[in-house]
Amino acid sequence: MEDLIVRYISRIIVPFVQIYGLYVVFHGHLSPGGGFSGGAIIGASMILYALSFNLAEGSKRVSHDLALILESSGGLIYAGVGLLGILLGSNFLANRIAGFPMGTPGNLFSSGTIMIVTLGVGIKVASTMITLFYSLIEREHNGDDHH
Amino acid sequence: MTIIEILLRLHQNSYYFFAIILFIIGFHTMLTHNNLIKKIIGMNIMDTAIFLFFVAIGYIRGGRAPILEPGADHLYVNPLPSALILTGIVVAVSITAYALSLIVKIYQHYGTIDAEEIMRLRGGETL
Amino acid sequence: MSAATHLPALVIVVPLFFAYLMPLFARWREGWSTVTALGVLAFSFAGSLVMAWQVMAYGPFSYQMGNWPPPWGIELYIDYLAVFAALTMTGVGLIILVYASKDLPHELKPHLLGWYYTLYLLLMASMVGMALTNDIFNLFVFVEICAIAACGIISIKGSGECLEAAFKYLVLSALGSGCLLLAIALIYMVTGHLNFTFIAQALPEAMRLYPNNILAALALLLVGIGVKAALFPLHVWLPDAHSSAPSPSSAVLSGLVIKIYAVALLRLLYQVFPASLFEVTPVMTILLWMSTLAIVVGSMFAIVQEDIKKMLAYSSVAQIGYVFLGFALLDVSALMGGILHIFNHAMMKAMLFLAAGAFIYSTGVRKLSDLVGIGRTMPIPTIAFTIGAMAMVGIPLTNGFISKWYLVLGAIHGEQPFFAGVILLSSLLNGIYYLPIVVNAFFSEPHGAVAEPKRLPPQMQVPLAVLGFACLLFGVAPSLIMGLVSRASQALFGL
Repeated sequence: MEDLIVRYISRIIVPFVQIYGLYVVFHGHLSPGGGFSGGAIIGASMILYALSFNLAEGSKRVSHDLALILESSGGLIYAGVGLLGILLGSNFLANRIAGFPMGTPGNLFSSGTIMIVTLGVGIKVASTMITLFYSLIEREHNGDDHH
Repeated sequence: MTIIEILLRLHQNSYYFFAIILFIIGFHTMLTHNNLIKKIIGMNIMDTAIFLFFVAIGYIRGGRAPILEPGADHLYVNPLPSALILTGIVVAVSITAYALSLIVKIYQHYGTIDAEEIMRLRGGETL
Repeated sequence: MSAATHLPALVIVVPLFFAYLMPLFARWREGWSTVTALGVLAFSFAGSLVMAWQVMAYGPFSYQMGNWPPPWGIELYIDYLAVFAALTMTGVGLIILVYASKDLPHELKPHLLGWYYTLYLLLMASMVGMALTNDIFNLFVFVEICAIAACGIISIKGSGECLEAAFKYLVLSALGSGCLLLAIALIYMVTGHLNFTFIAQALPEAMRLYPNNILAALALLLVGIGVKAALFPLHVWLPDAHSSAPSPSSAVLSGLVIKIYAVALLRLLYQVFPASLFEVTPVMTILLWMSTLAIVVGSMFAIVQEDIKKMLAYSSVAQIGYVFLGFALLDVSALMGGILHIFNHAMMKAMLFLAAGAFIYSTGVRKLSDLVGIGRTMPIPTIAFTIGAMAMVGIPLTNGFISKWYLVLGAIHGEQPFFAGVILLSSLLNGIYYLPIVVNAFFSEPHGAVAEPKRLPPQMQVPLAVLGFACLLFGVAPSLIMGLVSRASQALFGL
């Protein structure tokens, strides 16, 4: 879309949407939300950016390689935290028993591994939404020359 | 049982009743409509009906949202079904995304998204 | 042995971990992907062997994720049936992956090979997870992962018919998953638990209070898992899906994926639902007749097929009927035959599909009438196909004979000799469509592309030889696996 008003407004709004998405992700253990919904919000902000500007601008901000690395690292963070529980002596995905610090409930840094896992899930969902959007839109732009 | 008793029972379990009706609508749409995108919409309706059923299981009359406040002791709604359907929603979204991308590629190959047309174009050997 | 106590979780998590690393390898380090995938599956197979030894020596054990005791946490319960299923999945999966590393560059576009390994490792992790888990919602999550990964390895080929077959499989699979989730909701509603052992304890009381919920849950479970396991009237997705996929995918789908759903149904029917339920509802009779129809109708449809992979796909419809027949006859020997047939058919069908893939790789022909004389120009795949065909028919000295023997024994013990007759009749039907291929392959003159086949690389010949040898080995000395199978079946009957 090449509309001036859409570009101006979305350039202002996208940072606020991303901050809101990060808030939902980080407060996943305190308020409703968590990894999936927060990741969807962050992904939607990038899709808004790519829709209001053209695809080339969007690809400069989050390129294909970056989306691939983010997607893999999201899953790896989750599995890595679980394996960290094994390395620290208790079972897979152990939290308090393995010795992760639990603050007082109600603070941001309570709940040990849950915040790290939620962050991993949020990153993965956001990058999946961006990758899916790019794949579907690029096919439309380039036509079907290679399938 | 008389009609009044049946209607009273249905009114008490109205969430379950409407969830099952939506489930049957989604199931029927998935099976009978020919347009491939309508099948995916039917799948989403069916999954939404199941999530409604799940959430309705967890409701406790007089309970409030299951967010702990330190020091207060209230009656809370069961939080487990909400966690289960969060996973279910993500699964439904993934299947929808994958099915829609399959439809895009099928359209590129066959030129149509009508299931019967595709069967005819393929040569029609079924069962 | 501290690492060995964590093997249940590691056997599932290590393939998942490397499935996330595969796209990075495919983008930046092309050569590492095949070696890593093979190493990971070898680790899973070794882990399953260690767990099998531990279960046979010390008895079943359980593993709590995160040290949260059930019913608050997810529990993995490793008993005889679980470790048997995990061994089958990882073992046959490893052999098929060795074959796939050479066959896939010929069938897929070159930049998709790393993504195929991602989907394959996800599929293996989800199947092992389904075998080991003791929590019904964890089962549902693994069922969903398996569904998407299975559709993925069909549609990755990119041709028109495999896309349409994968879409059909996806829609019907989503239908089955919806029914499964509604059944889980109904069971959770009346028992309040998600762990199999706790549900089994709470169900008799719940059945007294809410019989209709439990009956609806049972019906939905049967339909949901029946669609995914391709039981007779719900099998319509299977022929297209298994015949248009790449050959290693067909082998995995026919040999392993439809079986793991049968294992899940076996657990639910025998360990979760109380035995008193089956005197009230004719569930076992329904399963009995559905499996009989599957055996007979599947074989009849296979006789009229012209394409080799479609014939093998219809044969899978018939063979899954044997597995369910073993469950439904309600006799210890029949259950042993059914469980053993899971293992045997995985090996036989994988070998048949890999041999068919070898034929297609070297000559490009798929029609049965064009495959005459291929035994003279490509001896090793044809010998493998012959061993597989003899095992399917149930000729003695092959492992197919052992599982059919136990099924017939169970049918006679359970005083239902009609089904013994069905099994013998179906062996005849199997012979009608398998033996002409073998006879034509060896005793006719090759012509056309069959006369000059492309050379088959050793990575594709070795799996065929290994599977053929294993079929003969487990036919001559079945006691290697029968100890595990008989203890599994006795544990399920509560003996």
